[in-house]
Amino acid sequence: MLEGWGVYHATLDPRDGTVFAATNHRVYGSTVQRSADNGRTWRRSQKVGLPEDSGLTLDAVWHIEPGRAEEPQTLYLGAAPGVLFRSDDRGESWEVNRGILDHSTRERWFPGAGGMCCHSIQLDPRDSRRMYVAITAAGVFRSDDAGESWLPINNNVEAEFLGDPHAEVGQCPHKLLIHPARPDRLWQQNHYGVYLSDDHGESWLRLDGNGLPSGFGFPLMLDPKDPHSAFVIPEKSPEYHYSSGGQLAVYRTQDSGETWELMSDGLPKQAWAAVLREASAYDDESLYFGTQSGSLFALTDGQRWVEAVRHLPPILSVEVAQWSA
Amino acid sequence: MVRVAVPSMLAAQAPGRKGYDVEAQTVGDALHALPVADLLFNERGALNRHLNVYIDGTDVRERGGLDCPVAGAGEIRVVAMVSGG
Repeated sequence: MLEGWGVYHATLDPRDGTVFAATNHRVYGSTVQRSADNGRTWRRSQKVGLPEDSGLTLDAVWHIEPGRAEEPQTLYLGAAPGVLFRSDDRGESWEVNRGILDHSTRERWFPGAGGMCCHSIQLDPRDSRRMYVAITAAGVFRSDDAGESWLPINNNVEAEFLGDPHAEVGQCPHKLLIHPARPDRLWQQNHYGVYLSDDHGESWLRLDGNGLPSGFGFPLMLDPKDPHSAFVIPEKSPEYHYSSGGQLAVYRTQDSGETWELMSDGLPKQAWAAVLREASAYDDESLYFGTQSGSLFALTDGQRWVEAVRHLPPILSVEVAQWSA
Repeated sequence: MVRVAVPSMLAAQAPGRKGYDVEAQTVGDALHALPVADLLFNERGALNRHLNVYIDGTDVRERGGLDCPVAGAGEIRVVAMVSGG
């Protein structure tokens, strides 16, 4: 039923097993779809749109984040142009977040190559009022009041394309993740570098000078058991969106970015591949990513990559979940 | 009553129906009566840019657009126009 749609992100809600998909089509626009039967049938949400007083219209839907366990009706939706929605009826209808829509810095935001997408939504598991969003190219924002107001948190994050590379906003985060076991720790793959914050984003430390071939990339994976580990898939540069040196490779740090090591066992050489920001996932067991050339890889035994599927269309989204039939 | 035919991707969202018989005064009314109307218009009510609508084979732009009356018409056809190659 979703054949022909661009599924920018799909995820399984761990609270009840519903699958949600953020789908876009050049002709038919943007929708959120949900399935209660593992994708056999789908149901569209009510029309997702922006209020007339904003002067904006919806460009695309990008990321769906299920709410916390204690708010079972709630989900969040990141979209373009730089907007966040919330649903309190299990994804049937969506209401725009006015704090982001009306943010005082919005006039200094601008779209990246994929639009002005709100692509990362992270909920602090220990604090029900704290959450984060990352928007290209506006930066990372934190709310400490359940989404009422949003503080730009881009200190030390460089935006080399701006006149002032240390501006308050205008940075280009590509993916933001909170560490599930240490929620004070945020990891960020940015347009310019990989960053780590240990103070809720108040300050950031750039990490990509210690073995990474490039600071540019999109996907980011973590180890839920080890907050010192992270995994990235660098691309050659902002101008050249494919693996550097003709080697598809994952790089791993196990010491909070002090050093990075190559993990290419099983990955193809002579490959100029690209991996999109939603096209990687991790769980307690392994890592997973898909390429724009339609191959899905999984890590086996913690060391060796196996190409699990090939010849798919460009892979836009990868998530991992366990369920029983 | 006028017949409205939609492309297969919209039929899949309906689900499965490529044609609808609807009561309507204008072409716009007929499109808004469809169960896939949310996929034809943006949140301001503007017809999506890459859609063409024909009434008995004539582009509705040549007949006043969505205000075109449907009285006496046989079929409204919605066509996805994605240019390029």
